[in-house]
Amino acid sequence: MKTELPVGIINRENSGLKKLKPDIPRITVGLATCGAAVGGTAIYERLRESIQKRNPDLSLVPTGCIGYCREEPIVTVAHPGKPLVLLNRVSVKDCDDILNAVLSGTVPHDKALCRIEEWDHLMGHNITYGRGFDEIPLYDEIPFFGQQKKVILRDAGIINPEDIDEFLAVGGYSAAYNALRNMEPDTVLEEVEKSGLRGRGGAGFPAGLKWRITKEKKSDKKYIICNADEGDPGAYMNRNEMESDPHMLIEGMILGAYAIGTDEGLIYIRAEYPLAIRRLKHAIAEARELGILGENIFGTDFSFDIQIATGAGAFVCGESTALVASIEGRTGRPHPRPPRLTDSGLWGKPTDLNNVETWCNVPVIIKNGSEWYRNIGAEKNSGTKVFSLVGDVEKVGLVEVPLGTTLKRIVFDIGNGGADGKAVKAVQTGGPSGGCIPLRLFDTTVDFESLNAIGSIMGSGGIVVMDEDTNMVDIARYFISFATGESCGKCIPCREGLKHTLILLNRILAGKGTAEDLDTLKSLSETIAATSLCGLGQTAPNPVLTTLEYFRGEYDSLVKL
Amino acid sequence: MDEKTLDEIISRYDSPSGRLLGILSDIQNEERYIPRESLEMLSGKLNVHLSQLYSLVTFYSFFSLEPVGDHRITVCMGTACHVKGAGEILRNLEELLGFPVGITEEKREPVTTDDNAFTLEIARCFGACSIAPVLRVDNNLYGYAKPEALPTILKEYGWRRDED
Amino acid sequence: MTDNTVCSTEELLKKSSEDVTVIINGREYPAKKGEVMLGVAIREGIEIPHLCYEASLSPYGACRLCMVEKRCRDRSEMVTSCTLRAEDGLEVVTDSPEILRHRRMILELYLAEAPKSEVIKSLAARYGVTKTRFFKKTDKDDPLGNKCILCGLCVRVCNEIIGAGVISFVNRGPYTVVSTPFSGENSDCLGCKACVSVCPTHAIVTGDSGDERIMKSWGETKVKMRECPVCGNYYLPDLLAEKVYAKINPPLSKNIQEMCPKCRSRNIAIKEISASSNRR
Repeated sequence: MKTELPVGIINRENSGLKKLKPDIPRITVGLATCGAAVGGTAIYERLRESIQKRNPDLSLVPTGCIGYCREEPIVTVAHPGKPLVLLNRVSVKDCDDILNAVLSGTVPHDKALCRIEEWDHLMGHNITYGRGFDEIPLYDEIPFFGQQKKVILRDAGIINPEDIDEFLAVGGYSAAYNALRNMEPDTVLEEVEKSGLRGRGGAGFPAGLKWRITKEKKSDKKYIICNADEGDPGAYMNRNEMESDPHMLIEGMILGAYAIGTDEGLIYIRAEYPLAIRRLKHAIAEARELGILGENIFGTDFSFDIQIATGAGAFVCGESTALVASIEGRTGRPHPRPPRLTDSGLWGKPTDLNNVETWCNVPVIIKNGSEWYRNIGAEKNSGTKVFSLVGDVEKVGLVEVPLGTTLKRIVFDIGNGGADGKAVKAVQTGGPSGGCIPLRLFDTTVDFESLNAIGSIMGSGGIVVMDEDTNMVDIARYFISFATGESCGKCIPCREGLKHTLILLNRILAGKGTAEDLDTLKSLSETIAATSLCGLGQTAPNPVLTTLEYFRGEYDSLVKL
Repeated sequence: MDEKTLDEIISRYDSPSGRLLGILSDIQNEERYIPRESLEMLSGKLNVHLSQLYSLVTFYSFFSLEPVGDHRITVCMGTACHVKGAGEILRNLEELLGFPVGITEEKREPVTTDDNAFTLEIARCFGACSIAPVLRVDNNLYGYAKPEALPTILKEYGWRRDED
Repeated sequence: MTDNTVCSTEELLKKSSEDVTVIINGREYPAKKGEVMLGVAIREGIEIPHLCYEASLSPYGACRLCMVEKRCRDRSEMVTSCTLRAEDGLEVVTDSPEILRHRRMILELYLAEAPKSEVIKSLAARYGVTKTRFFKKTDKDDPLGNKCILCGLCVRVCNEIIGAGVISFVNRGPYTVVSTPFSGENSDCLGCKACVSVCPTHAIVTGDSGDERIMKSWGETKVKMRECPVCGNYYLPDLLAEKVYAKINPPLSKNIQEMCPKCRSRNIAIKEISASSNRR
């Protein structure tokens, strides 16, 4: 069925297209948190001042982050009819050169990283920029980009996250519009079920099934919540998703609310992400203004709105029952499940909780269909996953690949191996709940089951690379120290067990440990994993257990045998 | 915090979801810590036991019951930052600011200089792992931090070396 | 409220009427559908150690000692029996080698956390744990005398049953303690000592002195006591008396109400005797 957007929205879409592809040159500066911190803000300000002074005909726009963090600050230049050119490692002193080049119809070639002739935003809207500047490599020719598959990050770093017009111009909200006008809620739910989408927060529970359980509960009130309490140190994909493309998350939640049948959604976001909070609030206000959130969305009977609740610095609040306690104004101490949130969640009502990235997957599934989606990724692990590839790796950044990609491909082909020519020794996946994986297991594919099989987990998608200089016992100590500080203190294995694990590791690292200490360390870790109340304690010993298994020699060399 | 300001903060929240933490965060942002009197006033206004509010502010690390210094320095201790040398950054800052080295990690609470100019604390992860190690002073984030660059950063906030 | 909403065992037993059979350590026992398995075991005299369970409070699941193995076909799973609900055919094992191994480790952790508690020492000894490999907590100024195991019973009874909200968990992780706000006196305290009576390790210290009850562990909070007009003993905290007597309907006559229980029963008995002798 043909879907005609309301005139008001079509006007905004057209206006967005004119902003993305103006008749005048367009300069963008990547202004997500990390880009801004390494000079993006200063560059943007400098460019703005110069443009004000010289008053040339060109547009300057802030964008999010395109993911190649190591090459930041990234500035793009697009002349009408020419490719979009990415400039990397730009500094304030380059600004005059950039402006001069742009005003003379070209780009500063010495700063150019690559060019984009055409971009598929996957929502039925390709943007064709044009040809030219052939001496600059194509986007796909850059190994870091060429081996990725951008589904979730399709708009990141290209559109202005603070302008709903640009989101509409790349097909944004068309899935929600079509669903609300032409699809039954059940059909939307079935599509998500058939897509095989699994929760991106770490556990990999089928998202459609969770939706269905919530939908089938009888209740006068239900909630959906977005878990944006991205707490794993080393993971920042959710931050970027919200900072670079906040409307994508909102659209996903609208679709979920429609499928499940609820009028109230919440985004629980950590206080450490002020920019993401600001951009989300702005995006929600924009969507309300256009009737995309609020009463009678798109003129249908369906009403839904989203509010934001902020955390206050507690990692454990990523755990579902603790998260709900925190929204209700209580301390984030988990309670035993059942009851699950789908039975008795926020304010005792059935509640569906999904991670940011899970919600972000929904629009593209509804737009292109579950079959299209299932063709990406691996068996039982459909779709892509965004990973933050950080630590001792040369090409640090956000990497989006189909599930089922090997660690080797991510770390070596995309990340180009160890930084400063050093040899890679291990990666740590899944944050403090994850495990340390040695180089010899890098043929492991990154999917929910394979990582579990070797003692680690997917988690939210942090991949921290460690090189030959890394002391693995110290890494285990680091994670236990983190988990100890973030334990809520409710149950004894986590509260006391982790504390004594830390004491043991400190003793071993100080050269005062014994072989018996290693035995105690192992059996204590097993008890913590087996008996803790919530996921934090159950997984916290993983870094110890995996380093004991894969790097036992390092422990042995530290203790008196 | 006077009663009027507190009433204004409370009035920002019309839904119960996220209300209590929101109000406490706003008090913290306004005063840079949570004064005991504000907590007591809030307990009366919301009809919530003081013990519950006290439990909240001591549970969540964002809240502080002690006044913090004029400038708040937060060193990220996320994994990427740890691997990239955040420990050394922290130790250097402790030394430059005249704290006993190691005190921040040991106390796990913010420490403030005697002249109340600086508060030093650690955070779990800013999610700025790509530019590790990272520190934040007030609202400004500094990426790729190096020990030798710290005095320059501190000087932006009025810090002077003792011998200067 | 949905059926799965957390509610105490007592509430649930009132609601539930369905009889089911559960299997504990290979033997069948009758139970009510939905009651917690720890409750069934206690009723049947089957030993499962536990420190944070109280039938009149909602399940908490923090002490982790009551974990049992839930058998389901060829799979088994470790769960706390204080949160595990009875259903027909549910099978649990309370003392498998795996359970015992973890239980001993947890008891070692308790010995380190509450080294001064005789209750913990003797419980640990029952499982053959007489010493701990871990550093013992030795805090000279601990108002709970290095006996608190953070089972939360006192906090829950004060909040859920009494509704006074005097104490709460303060801090988090290994730094967690139970205390009053700012560790000081809390005028919300009724002096009811419900916290004292539920504490499994006898950690909470109180003392009555003259017309004052002193909750020593709770910031030395002082509560005024009521004096019996007959015998002159201080027998009941003022605030508690007001709260309790407000609920009695029809109210007691004032002179009866003010007496301590001993004098009151004596007074009533004398009245009864004189009334009956008058009748005769």
